[in-house]
Amino acid sequence: MTEYYTRMGDGKRVLMSKDAIFADLVAGSADAADMGGIPDLTSAEIEKLFEIISDKNRVVGVEPGNEVVLTYDIGQLDFTGDNGNSGNGVDVGRLESALLHERALGADTFELAHADYSIKPVKPVISNEMQTMEEIQNEIVAPYFYGAMPNMGLYYKPDGPYGNPADLMREYKIEEAMDQAEKAAVHLARDIEYVSTRLVAAGADGFNFDTTASAGDADCVGTLNGVKALRKACPDTYINVGMSGESVMGIHGMIEFEGQVVAGLYPHQQVKLAEKAGANVFGAVVNTNTSKSLAWNLARSVAFTKVCVEKSSIPVHANMGMGVGGIPMCETAPIDAVTRCNKAMVEIAKVDGI
Amino acid sequence: MNNEKQELYDAMIAYKVPGIQAAVDKARKAGMSPEEIIENLGLGMTEVGVLFERGKLFLPHVLSAAAGMKSAMDVLGPEMLKNGTASAVKASVVMGTVEGDVHDIGKSICSTMLQCAGFDVHDLGRDVPKGDFIKEIKGGCKMCGMSALMTTTMTVQKDVIEMLKAEGIRDQVKVMVGGAPVTQAYCDKIGADVYGESASETTRKAKELKI
Repeated sequence: MTEYYTRMGDGKRVLMSKDAIFADLVAGSADAADMGGIPDLTSAEIEKLFEIISDKNRVVGVEPGNEVVLTYDIGQLDFTGDNGNSGNGVDVGRLESALLHERALGADTFELAHADYSIKPVKPVISNEMQTMEEIQNEIVAPYFYGAMPNMGLYYKPDGPYGNPADLMREYKIEEAMDQAEKAAVHLARDIEYVSTRLVAAGADGFNFDTTASAGDADCVGTLNGVKALRKACPDTYINVGMSGESVMGIHGMIEFEGQVVAGLYPHQQVKLAEKAGANVFGAVVNTNTSKSLAWNLARSVAFTKVCVEKSSIPVHANMGMGVGGIPMCETAPIDAVTRCNKAMVEIAKVDGI
Repeated sequence: MNNEKQELYDAMIAYKVPGIQAAVDKARKAGMSPEEIIENLGLGMTEVGVLFERGKLFLPHVLSAAAGMKSAMDVLGPEMLKNGTASAVKASVVMGTVEGDVHDIGKSICSTMLQCAGFDVHDLGRDVPKGDFIKEIKGGCKMCGMSALMTTTMTVQKDVIEMLKAEGIRDQVKVMVGGAPVTQAYCDKIGADVYGESASETTRKAKELKI
């Protein structure tokens, strides 16, 4: 029996038969359909996914003419950071990194980022960030944004002034936990407006909100309110709202944005809120399960993302990296899996960008 | 009696403390034993866990259901002691995000789920020094849950296991590992006992350990 070289969700190399790959493709799609209340992939789409996965070439790509926009997050940190934060440990400045991304790596957009890559720590150094933005804008041609994670965890004790809902809930102080999350969300929205409007004033072409909702549903609401404030203050700026996970974690459980409870929303529902807030681009995320195969994960990711693209009125740029979008969760994501996942996202889910 | 059983189950899924208390009162008046009441509340709590895993209920709802369970136990526990039918408390678990890592949320959800399942959870928080895990285990914790969210900190899980071996207490404790970069293969490689892909899976596996 012919066996095909493929991967598990943790990056391990495995050989699988055609039947086993097909079974996992169908099961992955079914899991997305079940969890998200969305349609299964069609049999033609499953066939196409099999073709992509079983391709004999190590690296695959889209057909000429089907290329999509490539945007990058995390700023210079992919060069300067250590392995713990997706970097390569190469010490270059922020200007040099921006120009390398534009001129050597083919980035269609890029961004300036603070070493901590979170909104809150930017506040005390906002003047430095504004000056750097202005300096790099004088050199770069590609649209150049500012990027940061809303990261509302920094607003809870021990890092911030508000009670930590996780600690409060373990003491059954549920209402207090909700109250603290709501207050932190208001604070986050205020900080987003403060930081983002100043950077746009310094020349940023836009703002990338990376890993929205990482601290749960209140983080999501705080970010969307911040986006709304930025849109109101800067009607022409470009706003990219990227998510942190496929489903919004219900740490509060009841908090709403524009009358909609956000806990438990999946990408096709999240994107509608990003639109309402005033985003130009939505970054869909689907998590990888390390115990399942690439086939299972990719079919599941494509099923979620495809519906998101169909429902969206704004461009969708899928998050494609370590542990998301079907790509295995390992430190250096294997190129065979990375290129297969990207091809599938473009050709089947029809994403507008990566 | 079947009505009362169903009402206990339904009250847990509705996760409101007063509703759970009312269902327990009704079941007691109908003559149901504390053990039966707890069994049916437990079935409801299991379903709450399933709904949480499926994203239909959220952490505050799970906690509210657990608070209802706790208030029921406040009433039923003394009765069981009186009858001599009180069951042993589930094992003590030390939980924490390892040294050098400040990611807290996943570990906290896991601690909460374990607490809801009846374990005595000692959550040490985040950036926990290796020795603190050892201290808790020497103090009687039979399970140790370590979370790591970075490839640079996941190795600390292995360090703690090596420390347990050096102290000669590895066999006294079941070690559970989890976190974004951690996988079943890594769990096997470092000699941990349980890998949890999610908080729900960790809790299910912890219950299966039957310590």
